[in-house]
Amino acid sequence: MNADSGHRKGEIAELKSQLRQLAGSRAPGVEEVKRELYKKVISYMTIGIDVSSLFSEMVMCSATSDLVVKKMCYLYVGNYAKVHPDLALLTINFLQRDCQDDDPMIRGLALRSLCSLRVMNFVEYLVGSLRKGLKDNNGYVRQVAAMGVLKLYHIAPTACIENDFVATLKSMLSQDPDAQVVANCLCALEEILVLERTNSDRANKDREMLHSKQIVFSLLNRIKDFSEWAQCLVLDMVSKYIPVDPNETFDIMNLLEDRLQHSNSAVVLATIKVFLQLTISMADVHQQVYERIKAPLLTLISSGSPELSYAVLSHLHLLVMRAPILFSSDYKHFYCRYSDPSYVKKLKIEMLTAVASESNMYEIVTELSEYAANVDVGITREAIRAVGKIALNLCDVNAIVDRLLQFLEMERDYVTAETLVLVKDLVRKYPEWSHDCIAVVGNVSSKSIQEPKAKAALIWMLGEYSHDMLDAPYVLESFVDNWLEEDSPEVRLELLTAAAKIFFKRPPESQKLLGAALAAAVDDPDQDVHDKGLFYYRLLQQGVQTAESIVNPPKKAVSDFADIQNSEMRDRIFDEFNSLSVIYREPSYMFLDKEHRKLYEFSDEAAPTDVLPTQKLDANDNDLLLGAFDKEESQSGVSNGDDGPLSAPRSPSPTLLGDSVPPVSASNIPAAFGIDDLLGLNISTPPPPPPSLVLSSKPVLDSGTFQKKWSQLPVALSFEHPISAQSLKTTQPLLRHMQEKSVQCMASGGQSPTFKFFFFAQKADGMPGTGFFLVECLVHTSAGKASVKVKSEDSTFTAAFSDLFKSALSSFII
Amino acid sequence: MIQCLFLLSDAGDVILEKQWMGKRVERSICSWFWRQRSEMEDQDPPSVIASPTHYLLHIVREGVTFLACTASEMPPLLGIEFLCKVASVLENYLGGLNEDILKDNFVIVYEILDEMMDSGFPSTTEPSVLKEIIAPPNLVSRVLSVVTGTSSSLNAASPLATSSQVSWRASNVKHSNNEIYFDLVEEMDAVFNRDGFVVKCEAYGEIQATSRLSGMPELSLTFANADILHDVNFHPCVRYRAWEADQMLSFIPPDGAFKLMSYRVKGLKNPPLFVRPQLSSGEGICRVNVLVGLRGDPGKPVDAIIVQLPWPPSVVSTNLSPSVGTVTYSFSTKVSTWIIGRIPKDKSPCLSGTLQLEPGINRLEEFPTFLVGFKIQGTAVSGLKVDKMDIRNVEYRPYKGFRAVTRAASYEIRT
Repeated sequence: MNADSGHRKGEIAELKSQLRQLAGSRAPGVEEVKRELYKKVISYMTIGIDVSSLFSEMVMCSATSDLVVKKMCYLYVGNYAKVHPDLALLTINFLQRDCQDDDPMIRGLALRSLCSLRVMNFVEYLVGSLRKGLKDNNGYVRQVAAMGVLKLYHIAPTACIENDFVATLKSMLSQDPDAQVVANCLCALEEILVLERTNSDRANKDREMLHSKQIVFSLLNRIKDFSEWAQCLVLDMVSKYIPVDPNETFDIMNLLEDRLQHSNSAVVLATIKVFLQLTISMADVHQQVYERIKAPLLTLISSGSPELSYAVLSHLHLLVMRAPILFSSDYKHFYCRYSDPSYVKKLKIEMLTAVASESNMYEIVTELSEYAANVDVGITREAIRAVGKIALNLCDVNAIVDRLLQFLEMERDYVTAETLVLVKDLVRKYPEWSHDCIAVVGNVSSKSIQEPKAKAALIWMLGEYSHDMLDAPYVLESFVDNWLEEDSPEVRLELLTAAAKIFFKRPPESQKLLGAALAAAVDDPDQDVHDKGLFYYRLLQQGVQTAESIVNPPKKAVSDFADIQNSEMRDRIFDEFNSLSVIYREPSYMFLDKEHRKLYEFSDEAAPTDVLPTQKLDANDNDLLLGAFDKEESQSGVSNGDDGPLSAPRSPSPTLLGDSVPPVSASNIPAAFGIDDLLGLNISTPPPPPPSLVLSSKPVLDSGTFQKKWSQLPVALSFEHPISAQSLKTTQPLLRHMQEKSVQCMASGGQSPTFKFFFFAQKADGMPGTGFFLVECLVHTSAGKASVKVKSEDSTFTAAFSDLFKSALSSFII
Repeated sequence: MIQCLFLLSDAGDVILEKQWMGKRVERSICSWFWRQRSEMEDQDPPSVIASPTHYLLHIVREGVTFLACTASEMPPLLGIEFLCKVASVLENYLGGLNEDILKDNFVIVYEILDEMMDSGFPSTTEPSVLKEIIAPPNLVSRVLSVVTGTSSSLNAASPLATSSQVSWRASNVKHSNNEIYFDLVEEMDAVFNRDGFVVKCEAYGEIQATSRLSGMPELSLTFANADILHDVNFHPCVRYRAWEADQMLSFIPPDGAFKLMSYRVKGLKNPPLFVRPQLSSGEGICRVNVLVGLRGDPGKPVDAIIVQLPWPPSVVSTNLSPSVGTVTYSFSTKVSTWIIGRIPKDKSPCLSGTLQLEPGINRLEEFPTFLVGFKIQGTAVSGLKVDKMDIRNVEYRPYKGFRAVTRAASYEIRT
């Protein structure tokens, strides 16, 4: 390794001296030698070797008539100018000279390189060259110059604004004959004006002008002159335009209809976005638009490369979720190909689930069952889950139940595991099928199930339907016997409940079983299992019937399972059609919007928005681009290293009785953890305020509006309130707790001992979009208090809301 | 917008990088990306993923990964289409695509990337226009530079001086032999279930054209049966109005090879081949019997028939013999490949034999899917026919060539 780098050093030194000799030489053939040397330097640069030490030599040799050598020189200078800003000044001379060259190609290239150096000291040189470039008689040079203005803006915004380049670009936008120049002007203007928006009113006006009818239609009318990429730009701009009347909408759609037939999928998607946005408030036309865009989208997914079809499928998924019926006859397009990569297959399976209806259900379930026999285990699981989801969504589940039960007979462990979880949900929704299902489930060998989720599902069914399964007590018994080998607390919790349930139904057979389960649970190292064991034990002390009424009350069939994503969220994504957020199924403000970030980040721990240093990559792997909520979770994963008081090792309690009823040893129960607390009640707090204020359970407020309201409203009330949050490690628990109290979190952040939250809530009976309460809440965990600022849109309820909020804080226990 | 592009070898090494924005993206992002890949057992991750710092868009072509990074919101398809374009332009320029070719030509690759994107936004991507700015590294230009002694890769008169009315074509194209070729290529997707029923059948077609015509030719192309086309996509040169009004393709072609249009044909009833598999397993052995035959007459002979039989992991070895053609078995991939070629008149191809299963496994638990390949020269399976092709606005009479071919794309037999 050392020898190697030494060798390389030698080579670079050698190159250096060779370049020196060449500088200024006019000998014949010198250009050829130069070309070879430059090539060598660039190839070092390419494989990542630092050749910045050759900077001055490279610049000295830069006088050349050879275009390829020139390009290599520009490339080199562009790469290292930032490291050697002082030396980079040397290049100004020859770049400026090249900007005056007779050949427009060289003028353009030189100007582009000049703009790409991005060194502050160069700004004055840049301004002059750009001004000339924008007036050049050659289109290529003007194209480069228009983009150059954008680059200048990024280096020195004030210089760009003061020199009035924006006005120049504006006039070129409507006058330049070269379409690509116009496109570049548009590109530069859009970006500059968005960034400049916050600084000046003028930028806002300019931006309005940019999206005015006159400009939009002048670009639309010549859309065919633009390259496919420039068309995307124009289309993006049109999607932001609000037509004055329906006629204008139809005019635009007529002008653009053939764009749906373009071979470039980016153009097709951008056009679709325009169509959807234009018609969003015209229900009938909107529906027709769906019909119209269906065919091009389906063609794109079946004809493009897998990479492309993945991105298109993600967009289709969005549409399918909005209008599943529209695609119900096209379901075959979502059949998986053998050669599809698994990420495409997964998406297609999701689509099949979404478009399943009474009419196509049989075919789709048949197809999915084929995938269940797939070699790829991941796909098999997805397919089984999909069959289950279809069953839960549709009323006619006759055929599907049979299918699922057949999966159990396939005797492949992961198929069985996946199916058990589904059968559990199925019998919860369709109790009428429980008899058939349980008959088959009873035949499943409990030995073959390893996955915690499946085990938990099986145990739940054993407990719930013990009256239908003769051997249920004995199966459960064998599980309890192996209590210590069972790694998953989830399974042990389920086992405890099942033991209790079976005890209520078949006491003589299962008394011993319950005793053993309770004993094992109380000794369990897992806090939850331990607590639950204790809880059951005390309940049973109150009498078997009381216990049964709490542990196993009569159940109603579940009518709807919670949807993972609410429709409001989907609508918001929908506004962002043709963006990366569609692929993530998260609105982009969750991960990209800097303003949003500022809201939840503390300045001292602000995550770098730019490139992270390499060594930080690992720690933050799951972080940063994720949404605020995910972020909390991943942070908690990182900070778990130090033990808080909750997870501190408890003193092992001596178990005095090996018998069915364990003693309640005082050392085992932290003083604060009475049964009342386990139930989530807190007797010490006052009862909630009179029902005059009822909060909406699903308030809708986006971050932008939140910020606006927050900045407009005065602080109505601020107070400090005690909170028992000593062991709060992440914001997640409090966030969930408040959610239960109908107080939603807009953003949160921070680390122990200080967390910051922005909450909001809405009056239940108010008009949509009104009656909001906004809260900033700083939690100091060590001090055990929260500083709260409340802003309210309806001052008569401020006090009532504050009381509600206080009581919510008081009842928080971690 | 796209900040930079990395080209990665199949081992994950950076072949070269191109930064388009002031903010550089460190190479370490590539190792992060490659780690994702290895975590997915070397399966390709989705084409758009989020790293801790950037969105990564990528495609894989000929073992080379084209990885683009962006930190801001952008239309994902713009990124992916651009990457596809980069890959096809490079392949077109260099006559192939692999690590060695890229390394040998990195200067030209830099030149091309520099023109294809500016400030993170795609600019010139049309191959014929690019070729006027950057000379391809072909033998001719190399010889020329030796003979004439000019070292510049550009011809003296800069092509930019002669800007053209149509963005995809220069105004000064000259050829000594004027000719234009059209290739009608149809690819068929079909899925059969184990009872031999057609689950799905569809064809996707493209018209690939190669134009070597001087001047500014105006072409028009009509089909005898355009109504069978379900959804069409056109090269930007095609005038959509003419298509809508008269189902006619009217266009000024770019110079060189291009994809004129693509389309989809729905509701095809007659996949040309049937494959009837029979698998029965027990006691650690699986008996295999596969029959292949024609379903009706496609009009032209079906060639290059090949059946791939990927076996599940539980298969240890195979002992299969064909009545027609040859069969090979790859131990590493567990795929039997049966090359049939053309079906003889007197014999129907049949593959029979046994599979040995892993000890302890009695019967085959997974159902393998067989993949069929074939080619039919001289006909488009959809029945699409070109009616006539006219050329106007030029003095000469060019040579016109038409060909059609049908291929199996994803022709699957479930067992």
